[in-house]
Amino acid sequence: MTPGGTARVAELERLLSDLWEAGGPLPYTAVLAADERAELCAEGRRLLHRAGFTAEFVPAALGGRLARLDELVAAARTVCRRDPTLALGHGLGSFLAAATVWTSGTADQRRRVAALVLAGGTVATVCPDLAHGDDPYRGTVTAHPDGTGNLRVSGRADAVPDGGRADALVLLADVGRPADADGAGLAHLLVDTATLPPGGVTRPARPATAGLRGLALGGVRFRDCPVPGSALLGTPGGGADAAARAAQVTRACLAGTLPGALDTGLRTVLRFATRRRLYGQGMDALPAVRAALADAFADLLILDAVGTVTARALHVLPEQAGAPASAALYTVGRRLTAAMDRLSRVLGAHSYLRDGEYGIFQKVRRDAALAVSGYAAPTTCLRTVLRYLPGLADRTPAGTPPPVAGQVYRDGAAVPELSFDRLTTRAGRVDALAGALHHGRRAAAGADPELHRLATAFCAELAGLGRQGARLRPPDLGPHARPEALALAARYATVLAASACLNVWAHRPRDGFLGDPAWAVAALHRLAGAAGLPAGAAPGPAAAYRPALYRELTDRFAGRRTFDLADRPPAG
Amino acid sequence: MTARSSTRDVPVYPGLRRLAAGIAAATTGDGAVFSPAACVALDDAETFPADICRRLDALGVPAFYVPDRLGGAWRGHDELIHLIRMLARRDLTVAIGHAKTFLGAVSVWLAGDPAQQRRLARRVLAGAPVAWGLTEPDHGSDLLATATRADPAPTGFRLTGCKFPVNSATRADLVCLLARTGADRDPRGLSLLLIDKGRLPDGTVRCLPRARTVGIRGADISGLELLGAPAGPETLVGPAGSGLETVLRALQLTRVAVTGLSLGAADHALRLTRDVVLRHRWRGRPLAEVPHVRRALGEQCARAFAAEAVGVFAGRLTHTTPDELPVVSALAKAFVPMAVDELIAGCADLLGPGPLPTGRVPAGAFAKLERDHRIVGIFDGSTVVNRAAVAHHFPVLAHGWRSAAGSHAAVRRAADLRAGLGPIGALPLTSRTGCSAVQSLPAAVAELDGPARDLGTALVAAADRLHHDLARAPSTVRGVSAEAFDLVERYEWCFAAAAAVHLWLANHTARREGPESAGGWWDDARWLRAVLTLTLSRLGCPVPAATATVFDELSTVLAGHGPPTLLADADADADADADTAGGER
Ligand SMILES: Cc1cc2nc3c(=O)[nH]c(=O)nc-3n(C[C@H](O)[C@H](O)[C@H](O)COP(=O)(O)OP(=O)(O)OC[C@H]3O[C@@H](n4cnc5c(N)ncnc54)[C@H](O)[C@@H]3O)c2cc1C
Repeated sequence: MTPGGTARVAELERLLSDLWEAGGPLPYTAVLAADERAELCAEGRRLLHRAGFTAEFVPAALGGRLARLDELVAAARTVCRRDPTLALGHGLGSFLAAATVWTSGTADQRRRVAALVLAGGTVATVCPDLAHGDDPYRGTVTAHPDGTGNLRVSGRADAVPDGGRADALVLLADVGRPADADGAGLAHLLVDTATLPPGGVTRPARPATAGLRGLALGGVRFRDCPVPGSALLGTPGGGADAAARAAQVTRACLAGTLPGALDTGLRTVLRFATRRRLYGQGMDALPAVRAALADAFADLLILDAVGTVTARALHVLPEQAGAPASAALYTVGRRLTAAMDRLSRVLGAHSYLRDGEYGIFQKVRRDAALAVSGYAAPTTCLRTVLRYLPGLADRTPAGTPPPVAGQVYRDGAAVPELSFDRLTTRAGRVDALAGALHHGRRAAAGADPELHRLATAFCAELAGLGRQGARLRPPDLGPHARPEALALAARYATVLAASACLNVWAHRPRDGFLGDPAWAVAALHRLAGAAGLPAGAAPGPAAAYRPALYRELTDRFAGRRTFDLADRPPAG
Repeated sequence: MTARSSTRDVPVYPGLRRLAAGIAAATTGDGAVFSPAACVALDDAETFPADICRRLDALGVPAFYVPDRLGGAWRGHDELIHLIRMLARRDLTVAIGHAKTFLGAVSVWLAGDPAQQRRLARRVLAGAPVAWGLTEPDHGSDLLATATRADPAPTGFRLTGCKFPVNSATRADLVCLLARTGADRDPRGLSLLLIDKGRLPDGTVRCLPRARTVGIRGADISGLELLGAPAGPETLVGPAGSGLETVLRALQLTRVAVTGLSLGAADHALRLTRDVVLRHRWRGRPLAEVPHVRRALGEQCARAFAAEAVGVFAGRLTHTTPDELPVVSALAKAFVPMAVDELIAGCADLLGPGPLPTGRVPAGAFAKLERDHRIVGIFDGSTVVNRAAVAHHFPVLAHGWRSAAGSHAAVRRAADLRAGLGPIGALPLTSRTGCSAVQSLPAAVAELDGPARDLGTALVAAADRLHHDLARAPSTVRGVSAEAFDLVERYEWCFAAAAAVHLWLANHTARREGPESAGGWWDDARWLRAVLTLTLSRLGCPVPAATATVFDELSTVLAGHGPPTLLADADADADADADTAGGER
C-alpha cells in the first residue's frame, strides 16, 4: 500500500463509519432494511457515489485511481465489511466485467467503459449460466455477422448479477461458424444496452436469491439482436484466453475482498459473546467460545494473507498468476463459508434472527455464501489450478528454490505497475509463491520450533504434490477430471496459503503481532489440519497459541480496529 | 415371479400407511393445499401454513403426539420420527410448526398427574397446538438462569416474566412453561406449568411480535410476556421444584424425535439434487456422470445413510436402552442435524447459486430448505449444548469401552427393524453404563465379512484411539474445552458407524435383493461400506484411495432407485418422485 492508498481507505472508513454507531451514516438497520427489500442499500450508494468510489476500479491512465490491486482490494473490503451486496453492486461487480475491457479492449472501448464506471454506471458480465459457472458454454450465446457490418446476437443467460439494470454488458459469445472449425471460437462483445433495438433483448427479472438479494440477479435474452461490429472486444477466437486472463484479476480481487464479510461476522459474534451471560458468568469466559473466536481470527488472517499476497503477485509475478489467483479464490471461498458456519454456532439462536443488533450476521453470512457459490464455484477454481500441476515439481525445485519476491509479502513496498499484457494462461518456468515455502522454512528454523516443524511438513507436502502432479494425465486436466485429481488442486491451494502466511510472518520481523510466530503457527496448524497432514492432527499447537490470538482479537475489538493483517484503526 | 426373501415391499411403519396416503393426496393435484408451490408461496409471504396444519389435524396426525394409553397413537418413538420425517420432506415450516405440539406436551406425559394428562390428551387429539416456553430473551441453554417467576398467590401462582423466542407462542393457547418457584440457580427452584392463555384475564398476558427468522419464515416464532397472570395449582406439571428434572427428561425424547426433521430435509435435498443432475448435461455428458459430481453425490448419499442410521437407531434405543438415553439423545441431536447440514451444503455445491425451477418444483425450493434446516441444529438444545452433555459422560464412556460393557441384547433388538418394541422405561438424567451401541462395536464388527470387515476393523482401531483420548481429556469443571468438543464430534461419528454396523447385521439377510437386482443399496454391503469409509475419513484415518469408489456406486444406485433409505420402499412416499417428474427445464 502507498501512503495515498492508506489515506483513501482511512477516508472510506470515516465516510462509512461503524455499523453499530447510533445515528451513523450507514447503520446496520439501513443495511438490513435494504436486504429485506432486495435492493442495494440506498444510503450506502449515496455515500459511495458522493465520494466517487467507483474510481477505485478504473485504471489511473483512464482517469480513475486504480494503480495497485492491493489498494483496490483494501477499498472494496472496507465496503464489504459493511455490506457485501453493496461492495459487489457498487464498484466491484462492474470491475469484474470491466476487467475484460481493461485487458482486451480498444482505446475507445476502455475510454467509454471508464467514463461509465466513473459516473457510477453498471457493467455486467453475461457468462452463460452461473448455475454451473464452470463452463463458458459454447453456443449458449452466439454472434454472427449479418453482412451489413452488424453482428446478430442470440441466446440467453439465466442468472446475471445486475443483469436487470446494467448499462453495459460484456458477453462471451460463440462467433465461429460451425462449418468452419478453424475459425470457430469465442469472443467478447461490449454492448451498450441503451442502443439495442427494442425486442432484441429482454431482461426477465428473477426471484431474489438467498444472498446478495440487492444485486438484482436477472436473465438476459437476445433474440437475433443486431449489435454493431465495433462491439467486438478483443480478437474473434481469443475470447476464451481473454476470459481466463481477466479471471486472474477478478478472482484475485474477489479473494481479497470477500474476507471483509468475515470481519463483520466475527465482530458481531464477539459483540454477542462479550454481552451475553451464561452459567453465571460472561459467555466469553467459556473456553470453547474463546477457542472458536480465536480460530475465526486465525482464519481471517489466513484469508487476508492469501488475498493480499495474490493481489500483489499480479503486479510482481504476472506471468505466474494463473494458478495462484484461482487457488486463492478457492481457499477464500471454502474457508470463509466454513468459518461463518462455525461462528453461527457460537451465536446460536441469534444467527437465525433477522432483526436486532446481531441481525447483520445472517445477512453477511448469506451474502458470503452466495458470492462464493456464484463467483467462486469451487470446482471451477480447482479445474483452473489443475492445469498447472503437471509441471509443478520443475517450477519449485527444493534445492534451488526460485528467488523470493519480498514485495509481495511486505505492506509498504513498491510494486511494478500492473501490466495486463503480461498476464498469461501459460504456466511460467518457476512458481515463486509456492517455492517461497522453502525460504519461510529457513526463516522459521531459527525462530520457532513449532513453526519450523509445520513449515517442513508443508515443504514435504509441496514435494509430494510435485510428484503426483507429474503423474496427471490429460483427461484429468479437462472438464472430466477425477475427484482425486481435483483433490490435488485443493491441496496445492492449501500449500500456497501456508506459504503466504509463513512469508508474511517472515517479512515482517519488526511488526509486533505479525512478526510474532504465534499467529503463523496457528494459521499453519489450521491449514495442516484441513489438508489432513499429520502435523495438523495434534491439538496441542492450537491450544497453545489461541490465548495470544484471543488477546490480540479482543484488543482490536475494544479499539474498533480491523481484524485483518492491516489492523486498521477506526475513523479518527 | 418367484417369491423373494427380500422384505423391501413390506413397510417398517405400517401404522403410518394411511396417513402417508392422506398426506400424498394433500400434496398432489391442482390447488393441493400442501403442494410444493403452496409451501414456497407461504414462505415468501411469511404466512403460517394454517390450512396445511388443519388438514394434518383432520388426517389424525396429532394422535401421534399422544401416548396410546391416553387414546393416542404414540407408541414407537422411531415411528414418530418417521412421521415427522414424512412432513419434513415436504416442508420444514409445516413439520416444525405442527410437531412442536409433541414438544409442548411431552413434559405432561412424563410428569403430569393422570387427570391433567387426560385433559391435555383430549385437547391435543382435537387439534389444539401446544407450545413449550423455556427460553427467555437473555437465557437460552442455561435453564438454571430462568428468570420468569411463578410466585405463590391465594389461588395458586402469579406469573411474571418473558419467554422468547418460542415456537407457536401466539397461536397456541396451551403453553407449557418453565418458571422459578424457588431460589436463584437452585436446580430444585424451577417448576413447569401448563397454562391456557385463552382463559387468562385480559391484560395479564401479552403475545410478543413475531421474530423475523432466516428460515421457516411462515412459522409463529414469537413470545409471551406474563404480567401477573394467575395460574391455578392444577397447572403444575409434577411437584413444585421438579421442573428442571422433567425438562431434562423431556428433552431426551424431543431431541431424538426432531432428528426426523433433518431426515426429511435430507430426503428433500437429495430428491431435488438427483432430479437436477439427472436432467442436466454438461460438456456432452449428463451431469450425473461427470466424475466429481458422481463422487460428491455419492458422498451425500453416505451422509444420508449415516444420519438415518443414527436417527432410526436412536429412536429404537429409546425403547430398549432408555437408561442410556441421556447420551444417545445428545449424540443423535448433535450428529444428525450436522450431517444433514453438510449434506445440504454438498448438494448446494452441485446445484450452484441460481434458483432452479424444475417441473413442479418452484424456484427457491432448495434455497428454502437450506435456510429452514439450519434451525434444527439450534433449537431444542443446540449442537454445542448436546456436545457438552456428551463430554460430561467421558469417564463412563471410556470405562464402558474398556470393559465392553452394556446390554448387547438390547442393542440387537433395537437394530432389528422388524422387532417389536416395548414401552419406554424410566429416563435417568445421566447414563451410568455409557453407550452400549458403541461399546459393542468390536463384537459386531467381528461378525462382518468381506471388505466391510476390513473397514470395520480399521474403525475399531480408530475408536480405540479415540477412547484413549477421551480417558485423558481434562475434567470439565471450568467449562468444556475446545478439544473436548472435537473429541465428541469424533465420538458422534463412531456412534454413527456403530449404528450402521448394527443395523446392517440385523437386517441384511432379510433385505438382500436377490441376484436380479444386484445393484441396490444393500447389495455388496454398499451403504455400509460407504458409511464406514466416510466415518474413517472423518476420523482422520487414511483409507485406500480405491475405497472411495463406493461413493460412485451409491451415485449409480441413486440414479436408478431414488433417494437413499434403510427402510422399505413401501415407507418412502408414493408421490415423492411425482413432485419432480414434471416438465423438462
Ligand atoms: C426459530 C426458533 C424457535 C425456537 N423455539 C423455541 C421454543 O419453542 N421454545 C423454547 O423454549 N425455545 C425456543 N427457541 C430458543 C432455542 O431453543 C434457544 O435459543 C437455544 O436453545 C440456545 O440458546 P441461545 O442460542 O439463545 O444461546 P445461549 O444459551 O445464550 O448461548 C449462547 C451461545 O453460548 C454457547 N454455549 C452455550 N452453552 C455452552 C457450553 N456449555 N459450552 C460452550 N459453549 C456454550 C453456544 O455457542 C450458544 O450459541 C427457539 C429459537 C429459534 C431461533
